[in-house]
Amino acid sequence: MSSTLLVGTRKGLFVIRDGGVEGPLLQGWEVFHAIASGGVLYAAANHFVYGAIVQRSEDGGATWERSEPIEGLKRAWHVEPAGDGALYLGGDPGCLFRSGDGGRTWEPNTAIAEHPTRERWQPGAGGLCCHSIQVLPDALYVAISAAGAFRSDDGGETWTPINKEVAADFLPEKYPEVGQCVHKLLAHPGRPGRLWQQNHCGTYRSDDRGESWERLDGNGLPSSFGFGIALDPADPDVAYVFPEQADEYRVAAEGRLAVWRTGDAGASWAPYGDGLPAPAWAGVLREGMSFDADGVYFGTQSGSVFVTRDGGWHEAASQLPAIYSVEAAEL
Amino acid sequence: MVAVVLPSLLATQAGGRKRFEVDAATVESALRGLPIADLLFDDDGALRPLVNVYVDGADVRYADGLSTPVSGGQTVRVVTAVAGG
Repeated sequence: MSSTLLVGTRKGLFVIRDGGVEGPLLQGWEVFHAIASGGVLYAAANHFVYGAIVQRSEDGGATWERSEPIEGLKRAWHVEPAGDGALYLGGDPGCLFRSGDGGRTWEPNTAIAEHPTRERWQPGAGGLCCHSIQVLPDALYVAISAAGAFRSDDGGETWTPINKEVAADFLPEKYPEVGQCVHKLLAHPGRPGRLWQQNHCGTYRSDDRGESWERLDGNGLPSSFGFGIALDPADPDVAYVFPEQADEYRVAAEGRLAVWRTGDAGASWAPYGDGLPAPAWAGVLREGMSFDADGVYFGTQSGSVFVTRDGGWHEAASQLPAIYSVEAAEL
Repeated sequence: MVAVVLPSLLATQAGGRKRFEVDAATVESALRGLPIADLLFDDDGALRPLVNVYVDGADVRYADGLSTPVSGGQTVRVVTAVAGG
């Protein structure tokens, strides 16, 4: 494994590199997500007393600088680099922010804050959280639980709901314009227009920038429910999910810690690799899966991090606090 | 000068410094000048609900809150509320 893993937990940030585990950094903070960009670490950090903030470190985590207070932010969920020092921040309550100065100050995206469908959004179990942000050359995408997925073709000035054919089984109207409980949305970096999402109500793929979706969990997955999703940058037909028992239970499906893989764009799925413990009743949260060109990674709420390069799973860390996020990084 | 004493996490956020000596006439002015003031106050400028402040051992909520006067030699202690078992 050549990548460094940033592991956000309920009790701070850990860094896994060169076979060792460093941390906790930001001890006392709940790190919902951490990412590296341009040699800078960014953490979506929350504290039950001191609030929500973005922390940044230019020295690999030795020292941290807080962003300016972010008005209206109840919980920080996800930081996404956008190039040239710009970043996006997603959070609760269903809010999106942009920073043009490397995460020091943040401006709200008013088109999300004042979206005409907003009165039909409602919080999921994790709150009304904007947790997925994808920055593509031709579009921005966000996903909010439980509001659904949205695409902007004008740099965030306007947002179009992209939830057609995505189920919301918990609502009276099963296929509404908005209100879907997306758990994680990713865009494939090499196939324009291809999106994947793990939803409260199924696993989906879109090949037309979210204009339509194909439901895939009926093609062999043991559950329609899950949170994390991972991709293969070299192959747009590959995706990985961690099926969980829906939705009152939220632990590994069939009592078995298993990542399921498709190599044919979701037409079929199969358990991926060997070496994961069973029986196991752990859960993986929405930010708990990651990938890069070298492998696939996930962390459990019971504090284990598993990595693979070729299907042979290895436990890279154990006995950590409850894991909120795993992110592969080059540091 | 008024002494302000911080709990562990805030001291870490203040660069490892637990105790500050400030020139202030009220609790609010003593706290506003700290490098971690952004963590003590909410969007409306009010003290966050789970942040307790004591002046020489007395909870300022039972005095004049943030307007509680302070003077030289007194100690303002910031204490995070702890709930649960």
